[in-house]
Amino acid sequence: MKDLSTANFDTMTTDEFQQYLPELFEESGGNVSHDPRFAKFLADNPVCAALVHDLETIAETAKSLFEPAVHEPSDAVWDKISSRLKVDEPEE
Amino acid sequence: MQTKPGQQAGPGFFKRNPPIEGEAEAIERAKNGDAEAFSFLYGLHKRRVYTLCLRMLGNVTEAEDMTQEAFLHLFRKLGSFRGESAFSTWLHRLTVNLVLMQLRKKGLQLVSLEETINPSEEEAPKRDFGARDPQLAGSVDRVTLERAVATLPPGYRMVFLLHDVEGFEHNEIATMLECSTGNSKSQLHKARLKLRELLRQPEALFAVDGSKEGAR
Repeated sequence: MKDLSTANFDTMTTDEFQQYLPELFEESGGNVSHDPRFAKFLADNPVCAALVHDLETIAETAKSLFEPAVHEPSDAVWDKISSRLKVDEPEE
Repeated sequence: MQTKPGQQAGPGFFKRNPPIEGEAEAIERAKNGDAEAFSFLYGLHKRRVYTLCLRMLGNVTEAEDMTQEAFLHLFRKLGSFRGESAFSTWLHRLTVNLVLMQLRKKGLQLVSLEETINPSEEEAPKRDFGARDPQLAGSVDRVTLERAVATLPPGYRMVFLLHDVEGFEHNEIATMLECSTGNSKSQLHKARLKLRELLRQPEALFAVDGSKEGAR
């Protein structure tokens, strides 16, 4: 992990940029492409801009996997739970 | 998504986990051993819990067993739910911890993430910025992404699911996986890079053999 406080986006190489990316994504809340600090760098480095775009797309699409949950357990799962509930007690 | 210990849930907190009608009443009744109320809670949350188990374990039988364990554990521990976080968030954290415990029992040592669940060189994402580095075509559909996530190495898959799908923070993931937050961030980044590679060839994702497909 690279420390962002030492980053200089005016002189950074594409390889260095990738080393900073995990921290950049975290710090920008997943919106690296809209952060004005990196606008010039990304404009000058379309390959990096494409990478950022793709990673943002993946992260954004991942949120859609949260809901609705499409998989459903079989009825046998509840049958087993309910039979165990008869002998189980909630803890205080 | 989650509150810190001792912190009350703010207005934006329930954005992904809005209160469900009848849930609060059912929780209180189930705390007193009301089986019908517990059945109601099961109906509300079974899909999300099962889907989480299935994604983490990648196996229907194990996912059903773990769903059963999660709800039985819930029944026993419901009295300790204080409403400081959304119920579903609390239930998910409980489920994730049970799954991780199960994975550790099976020998997947999550303690040393870098050494034990890092993929081989072959599986690791390539760090290339070459000219032949095409952008993903348009958006990614959730079915294709779901398929790609299922093919990720376990360590990558776990962090990606917990952070990008379930919405846990890196410090929470670090606690659950017993690793550093930096490690969690690094694994997440590698997971996304690997997914990018996989999603560039979506046809390969749908050409998996029947046995693997049957497990999903």
